[in-house]
Parts: sequence; structure tokens; C-alpha cells
Amino acid sequence: MRTSGRSRMTRRQFLSLAAAAAATPALPRIAAAQQPRRGGTFISAKTTEAPSLDTILEQAASRQRIDVLFYNRLVEWAPDGKLQPALAESWTTSQDSKTWTFKLRRGVKFHTGRELVADDVKFTLDRVLDANVGSGGRGYLLAIEGIETPDKYTVVIHTKAPTASLLAGLAGNWQSIVPRDEVEKRGDLRRTAIGTGPFILQEWVPQSHLKARRNPDYWDRSKPVVDALEIKIIPDEASIIAQLRTGNIHHAMLEDNKNYLLVKDDKRLKALRTSRLGFDCLVMNHGRKPYDDVRVRQAVGLAIDRNEVLQVAASGLGQVTGPCTPAMKPWALPIETFKEWYTPNPERAKKLLADAGFPNGFKTTLKAIPTFPTMVAGSQVIAAQLKRVGIDAQIIQEEYGVWIKNIIKPNFNFDMTMNLTNGEPDPDSLFYRRLHSVEKQWPNGGDPEVDALLDQGKSTLDQPKRKEFYDKAQKLMVEKALIIWTFSPDLIEIVQNAVQYEQHFTSLFYGFRTVSLG
Amino acid sequence: MRRYALIRTLSILPTLLGVTVAVFLLIRLIPGTIVDQMIGTEGTYSEQTVRALKSFFGLDAPIYVQYGQWMSAVIRGDLGTSWRTGIPVLQMIMSRLEITAELTLLAMLVALAVGIPMGILSARRENTALDHAVRVVSLFSLSIPVFWQATMLILAASLWFDWAPRVDFVSIWVDPAGNLAIMALPSLALGTAVAAVFMRMTRSSLLEVMREAFIQTARAKGVSERGVVWGHALKNSLIPLITVAGAQVGYLLGGVVVTEEVFTLPGVGRLVLWAVFQRDYPLVQGTILFISALFMLSNLAVDLVYGAVDPRIRHG
Repeated sequence: MRTSGRSRMTRRQFLSLAAAAAATPALPRIAAAQQPRRGGTFISAKTTEAPSLDTILEQAASRQRIDVLFYNRLVEWAPDGKLQPALAESWTTSQDSKTWTFKLRRGVKFHTGRELVADDVKFTLDRVLDANVGSGGRGYLLAIEGIETPDKYTVVIHTKAPTASLLAGLAGNWQSIVPRDEVEKRGDLRRTAIGTGPFILQEWVPQSHLKARRNPDYWDRSKPVVDALEIKIIPDEASIIAQLRTGNIHHAMLEDNKNYLLVKDDKRLKALRTSRLGFDCLVMNHGRKPYDDVRVRQAVGLAIDRNEVLQVAASGLGQVTGPCTPAMKPWALPIETFKEWYTPNPERAKKLLADAGFPNGFKTTLKAIPTFPTMVAGSQVIAAQLKRVGIDAQIIQEEYGVWIKNIIKPNFNFDMTMNLTNGEPDPDSLFYRRLHSVEKQWPNGGDPEVDALLDQGKSTLDQPKRKEFYDKAQKLMVEKALIIWTFSPDLIEIVQNAVQYEQHFTSLFYGFRTVSLG
Repeated sequence: MRRYALIRTLSILPTLLGVTVAVFLLIRLIPGTIVDQMIGTEGTYSEQTVRALKSFFGLDAPIYVQYGQWMSAVIRGDLGTSWRTGIPVLQMIMSRLEITAELTLLAMLVALAVGIPMGILSARRENTALDHAVRVVSLFSLSIPVFWQATMLILAASLWFDWAPRVDFVSIWVDPAGNLAIMALPSLALGTAVAAVFMRMTRSSLLEVMREAFIQTARAKGVSERGVVWGHALKNSLIPLITVAGAQVGYLLGGVVVTEEVFTLPGVGRLVLWAVFQRDYPLVQGTILFISALFMLSNLAVDLVYGAVDPRIRHG
């Protein structure tokens, strides 16, 4: 394994440790043992990489994942699911909840050495909001009416209406703060990464590797722990596992959870498992018969055995989920809440179908993308389950680009399709864009009662009240079978035994900031 | 000869023009554009953004205008910039060309090293059990698709020899041994199918030449059978192989797409595939045009060499 060898201690660390040793002679041994070893080069591998690195323009999930190495956002998600200050040290809201004032951390430097100021924040958010730029993050910030910078360290954001998800939006995947001068000079940041983050990009060889070194001026002095990191691109996950076994790499986040079974008994490796935000689901086109009839959708839901789908599609490595996944900690409801609709009930399904005018079932199609393993396996098991109630679903596999063209509005060229998402930490961001009638992105429809609850959830800043709205909305969405939620796959990461690594529910590489090699 | 070379070289141009039209239209026939992919199924995009993106990529212009813009750039030697990565297409191709060129070359060497001796062996033992065996094997290896052969090779190597090709590519200039270890299976998989063609060509050509009058003359003069084959027959029978080899470069260039994908080699072949999936039109167009030009140039070179070797062709 390539590491830097012995850990190096700074003079200051030595002195403080020595002082502690002098004060409490019994403790230092334990303290030293728990202290993560500093230094070394942390090596990770993944199968895919984003075509470009621009935080505002590039939509690939693999770009979002590494953003947190090079950039910071105003606020960021802590591992426990709470929002914590990052570039913004503190914030207040006005009486009418429409004006947000953020105080920036002072002395934060970009990798170029220039200090971050309020103007950079305004520039970044304005750029995301510019419809002509085409950022995928624009939808998260649409509530913003205007941004002011009264001084170098203050950013004031005016919203059109009280918006509870604004903070979540600012912590989102397109909202990393970029330096105005560099973007203006280069046109975009597709080929480089210049932020305020804990690592400085050193070398990026597309389809091969990315190297970065520790940012010595990082504002959070305790991070990062390692001196350098390298991310290798190895297109085949079986090869990544082999590299983990031989000790050539320290870490990998599994793309195909089935590979967990290959390593779970390996003594040299640790498999870390946690809930992730995303989920798999079945979407029916409400704009097409017979799915405009809620009874048909309910019948489909009752025909499906979600546990079986989880077992077949994801080897059981995940959880059956409601609309808010278990990783959305404050929002998720216990799965028993949905018992009535989640317990497979073919008899009731048949009766609902008969009531809707389909006593003998019907023929339909079900789309899946061949390169998404859980979609393919999921579609097969769901088609088999639907057959039991007389629904004959023919599976159609479509290449990713073709599938997107068919699924998106205004085309909506599908009967049923498998779908999946990386999810969102905030319920407004999750539901509104995908399921509200105004947007009707996914099911080509919606429900007025659900819409009303989603509207209330959007504008209510009081957390307990807000939760009530989303509790109700979730129950209603399941009852009306807006879409059929199936399961949320686990986030599985494999590390060398000695490596100390903390998983993050967003599946972004926040853990690289604190990882240590021993 | 000079006139022949000139005409032959100029004849490439209309073919290349045809390629540009074909590749330009074909990639646009596949449903879904880069804008659809960027919007995805989860984003909230306004109509204005969609229009802005379309016009940014020039997709709002009539198709003949798009073609005209691309062609006028190509003529100036500019293959454009990849939409997804922002890197010039030519630079992306060049950074990967070394791998594809090496793979093609090694596969060709494998094909020649296996095909020609087998062909000679087969011809010398015409209609014996050995001849039949060689011919069956060659038919077999011609019929097996490269992707299946490649997968089987990886599987066999890992099962029987506990060895798998390395996945992080190293250049031959950095680590020659490591590089060749990576390239061994891919060039074998790609080379054997072409070897079968060479074997059959060598066999039939050698048999034909062996029936020529000058061979009988040689025999009558008392040249040993070994001397007849190596000294007289082989030299003459290899001429058609030059043409075949040239044509096979095309096959190899097609085969590298699959081979590079299966063996995860970061070459031009995988770049094409990736570009198609990403609907990165300039990259697809640029790489395919580049590969076609390469193929035509290799055919041109063969024809010119052939013309130089065989006077009947340049005068015919």
C-alpha cells in the first residue's frame, strides 16, 4: 500500500500532547490511540466519473460527490441530518420570514489565495439562477427574488414567499461557492476546481485519475487529516474489489450493492453500511388510461410485494421505504404507517381492478434501462407479481438517452416505468418538483389534496408544523398511489480495516475530509 | 505511377464527404439530445432554459446549417470541442490514440504471426488431417464474436492461471512490461479472428502459386522442396496478403471499440461509445471521421505499395 509511512506530528501538536501528558500521566496512551493518524495519501476508486467538474453546469452525480473536496457551500449537511454553518457562520430571518441575512466566515481563502467575499456568493447564486446558464440547481433557488451584499461579509437574500427549503437549497449540489474572477476569466470551471474546500486539485487525467493535496489554509483547522488523496477510475467494480483486496486502494463506494456479498467476509476489509437518501420506484403515467383511475393504481400497489422486490433487485441490501426514505431522518415515517397499502393483497387488487372495469386485468408496458441493474431486476419481479392479478406487463428496455427522451415532459411516452433517484434531504425539494401537479415531472399528473399539503410544507418555517403537513402528505401519496415507492438501497462503502472513515447519508464524499489511514 | 497515386489519393475525398454526411445524420437519428440528458427527469427547467441550452449547442438551427457549420470548421482542421467535457475533440482523440494504435498494431502482429505459419502448414499438408484441423480451427475463430472471445479469455485466465489483466492502464513508455501484460489478452482476442483470415488467404494463395509453371521449372532444375516453398512460392503468394492486411485494419479498428470496452482500455474506441451514450455530437462526429480517415489512409497506403509491387495494377 502506498502511504507516507510514519505519521508526522507538527511542533504544536507535539507540545500540546506533551502538555497533556504532563498534566494527566494516565491518559495520553489512550488519547494517542484514539487520535487519528495524520498524513498519508488516501486512495479511492470508482467506476464512473463526471465529464466535467463545473459545480453549476455539470449534472452528473459523480461530480456532486467530489464537490465537497474542493468547495464549500453556505451551509452544509452534518452526518446526523442537520444543517450546519459552513461558509455562512450564522444567519437570521426577518419577521415575515421572507428575508434571510447570512454572516460570512471571515478570512476564508480560495485556492488562489484570494479571500472569499459576499460578492462571490452573490455571483454564484445569480449564476445558478440565470435561466440562460442552464444550471440544474436553478429549481432549488427559484424562491429567491434578489440578493444584496451590504458589506464584504454579509449576504441578504430576499424570497418571494416564506420558503422553508431555502437553507436545504443552499446546501444543495449546485450551490458550492465559486470565485467570481476565476469563472469570469475562464468562462466556466469545467476543467478545474477552484474553491475554498479542504483539498486543492493537483491533476485530473480524465478516465484515469484525479489527484489532490491538503489545503494548508483550510478554514476548519482540524481538516483534512490526510496529506493527499487520489481517486482512480476503474470502470469495472469487480476490479475495484480486487484492488481493495490487494490493498492497492483504501476505499470504494459500491455502485452495485450485490458486490457487498463478495467482500463481507474478507478480514482485511470493513464494509460500512448506512441508509441513503435515494430510492427505487415504479411510476405510472396518470395521463394514460387506465392509470388515471386511482383504483387501478392502488391495485398495482397492492399486487406488489415490496420485500420481494428488495430481495431480488438489491439482494436485500436496503429497506422498504415510504415517500421519505429512512435517511431523511426527521421526516421518515415508520413503515407500519403504510401497512394497509404495503401488505400485498392480490384479492383486494383484483376487486379494485374489477370495480375500475378490468375484471380480467389488462395489457401494459413497463420500461427499464438495461445499464441500471436494480431497474432491470425490479421490473422483472414486478411484472411477475402483476401477472398474479391479471396485469400483463411487457418489459421494454431502453438505452438511457432514449428512455429520458420518452419519460420527460411533455412527451410522457410510457405506460409504466421503473425509476430511481438519488433523493433529497428536504421533503420540499424531493416532492414538489417530481410530484406536484404544477410540475408533474414524474407521473404526468398529481392530486389536489397532496398539492395543498406540499404548498403548505413549502411555506411553513416552523419545523413541527411543517412535519405535520409532510406526514399527512406522505400517507395520502401512498394511499392515492401517486407513484409506487419500493425500496431504498443501502449506501455501502468498503474500506481497509485500519482506515477510519465516516459515511454521509447524502452519499457525497464528506467523509474524505475526516478520513485517516489509521 | 505518380498519376495513379494522385488519382487514388483524390478518390478518398468523396468517400470522406459521404462519411461526414452519414455520421452527422446517424447520430441525430438516435432519440434524445444532450439537452434532454442535461434536463434529466428531476430538474425544474423553464422553457427559456431549454431554448438557451438548445441554442448554446446550436441545436436550434436547421440541420443543413448545423452540418455546414461543422464542415466549414472541419475543412479548417477544427474538429470542434466536446460538449460534455469542454476539451477539443482532436486533443481527446490524440490523448487516446496511442492505446488504440498499439492495440491495432499488436493485434495485427498476432494475426500475422499466427495466420501465416498456419496457412503455410495447411497448404503444405493439403487435404491431410492436419490441414482439416487447421481449417476448422480458423473457421471457428472467424465465427466467434470478439466480445465473447474477450470475455472468455478474461474468465479463463482468472480461473486457470489466477491472473487478471491490470485495470489501471500504464503507457508502454512508462512501464513496458506492465503495458504489454495489459495488452496481451486484448490483442490476442482481437488478433485471432484476423489470423484466421490470413491463414486462409496464405493457404489458398500458396496452393495456387505452387501450381504455377515457374514452380515446376524450379523443381525441374532440382531445387529442394523446402527451397521451392521458401525461396520461390512464398514470396509470390504473399502479395495478395498486403491487400488483405490493409482491409483488415478496418476490421481491427471496428473491433477495438468492443475490445477496449470489454478490457476497459481507455482508447479511442471506448471514447466513441461513451460519446454516443452522452449524445456528444461533436465528439462522435470527430472520432468517427478520424477513424474513417485512418482506415482510408491505410487502404491508400496498401494500394500504393501494391501498385509499386505489381505493375499490372498501376497500369490497369
